[in-house]
Amino acid sequence: MAVASPIAVEAIALRKSFGPIHAVDGIDMALPAGKIYGLLGPNGSGKTTLIRLLTGLASATSGTVRVNGVAMPSRTNLASIGYMTQADGIYPELSVWENLSFFGALYGQTDRAAMIKTLELVDLADRLDSPAQDLSGGMRRRLSMACALVHHPRVIFLDEPTVGVDPALRVQFWQHFRRLAADGATLLVSSHVMDEADRCDELLFIRSGRVLAQGTSEELRKRAGTDDIETAFLRFAEGPGPDGSGGTPTAAAQDKNGAAR
Amino acid sequence: MNPRRVTAVFLRIVAQFRRDRRTLALLFGAPIAIIALLGWVLSSSGATTSRVAIVNASGNPAGNAIVLKLTAALNGQPKVQVVDVRDSATARQMLIDNKLDLVVSVPADFSLQNRKIQLTTLGLNPAGESTVIPAIQQALIGAVVQDAGGALPTIERSTVYGSPDATQLDTLAPVVVGFFVYFFVFILTGVSFLRERMGGTLERLMATPVSRSEIVLGYSLGFGFFATLQIALVLAFVIGRLDVPALGPVPAFAIGLGVKAIGSPLIAYLIVLVLGLGAVSLGIFISTFARSEFQILQFIPIVIVPQGLLGGFFWPIDQLPGLLQPLARILPVTYAIDGLRQVMIAGADLTSPAVLLDLGVLAGIAAIFVVLATATIRREVV
Repeated sequence: MAVASPIAVEAIALRKSFGPIHAVDGIDMALPAGKIYGLLGPNGSGKTTLIRLLTGLASATSGTVRVNGVAMPSRTNLASIGYMTQADGIYPELSVWENLSFFGALYGQTDRAAMIKTLELVDLADRLDSPAQDLSGGMRRRLSMACALVHHPRVIFLDEPTVGVDPALRVQFWQHFRRLAADGATLLVSSHVMDEADRCDELLFIRSGRVLAQGTSEELRKRAGTDDIETAFLRFAEGPGPDGSGGTPTAAAQDKNGAAR
Repeated sequence: MNPRRVTAVFLRIVAQFRRDRRTLALLFGAPIAIIALLGWVLSSSGATTSRVAIVNASGNPAGNAIVLKLTAALNGQPKVQVVDVRDSATARQMLIDNKLDLVVSVPADFSLQNRKIQLTTLGLNPAGESTVIPAIQQALIGAVVQDAGGALPTIERSTVYGSPDATQLDTLAPVVVGFFVYFFVFILTGVSFLRERMGGTLERLMATPVSRSEIVLGYSLGFGFFATLQIALVLAFVIGRLDVPALGPVPAFAIGLGVKAIGSPLIAYLIVLVLGLGAVSLGIFISTFARSEFQILQFIPIVIVPQGLLGGFFWPIDQLPGLLQPLARILPVTYAIDGLRQVMIAGADLTSPAVLLDLGVLAGIAAIFVVLATATIRREVV
């Protein structure tokens, strides 16, 4: 493991403004491939906007995004990117199989056996012909995930994948994410639930459109001088990290909402 | 442009419709039901007998003579019943009480030099009341000319296209076909695409390698497919006629209107199809400006109704007020109505410059909206 993994997701001075509101306010990141990254932050901190910028769905006000070395937005590059949106984003009248094969066709996935395998992974292989509207909420969530993974993407963005998912299913989801990462995929999972932090290889604390800190859960807690990840987040949110390296001081200096200033 | 992805979008729309039985029923049942209703209403108009009273206030020989001749002439008319009424006050009251439809008055000063006759109707429904007036006029001319000892003038009607006895239905039905397809395709595409926007599936589509033009093309194929079936069924219903003989307690009836279409149904079909394809892109475009299904319906008075009023459905374009004429000439329905009339009533084919112009303008309008629809798809949702 001495050889550094290639950078899967890269952002340079990324900004997105909606009028006076800076949803993403100067984010730099370089995420090596093959890991699970947790994007943690409260509601409205800019997580979804950041993911939309990284997938090329939104155009940046300024800055650059590269996924697998290709500048986004790039339509062809989307064939190796999976995106599970916060909303289920499936067609309720269509059956499980129709939904999956539709997205498969758009992504260029033609291997029926591979698609069935994706459904098996989310435990829906026995519901092929059920209309999506007849599924339970958790099943729809799983179908939504299957639609994002149908083409075996190398980079996977999951926007709050575990919202409204019961604990048993949540464990299954994370086991599945771990398998994908082991196969070399890079996952960026957004969440506002801090207790999912320990399941990620690395965390990015995000607030007011800026990355407050990046590192493993253990590192971040150590730097903040606490055992509790939630307390760590709040300490980073209050200002520069206790050891002077955790925060983004230039960003904090501009933060009109910064409580500690 | 990747045919696989276009096909995927097309097949998805077909699958969605197949599972939405109610919308399918609406798509095929509603136009048939409404056109059948229209045919029924129009076929019975003028079928009722008009009750006419002739009131003679003159009392002089010239007046008496004309009353006799008028009565004889009117009695000879079909669907006219002459009612005996003594004075004009009674006749007026009978009009109000709906016991009479028309009063013919011979005024007190009627003479051979002053042959003036008054016609009085109730005035609440000018269109319905006037149906008997041409018959009266003819009888009157006959009576007056006979009086002078000459021959009876006869009026022969002819038309360049169609036949003088073409019913209103014959000229309206082709137009209704085009209008319905436009209306249904617009509403269904608008709502479908709105649901795509609101349900988060558009966001998902944009995260796949599918392009905006592939989506618009897939939608056009999907809705074009159903529009094709709809047009075929409705045209068959309008043009065809299957008479079912009486069977036991069921009286004889006919399926289909049997409208006389002179031109090729295939060209009529082509015109409606190009109109419908424009409606697909219009629906996608309009869905940008709506936040709910209800807001799509709010576009009916803005997008659909003006086309119905100005498109030549009720009034010829060149009889519209000057300011409205240019507006009417940019509406797609105007060209579809003209094309359909050219083909179905005048029997024009694809060598006719008018039909080619109509088709060309419809294709041009469709192309403009394809561009607009494509441009609005990636509108960012904040």
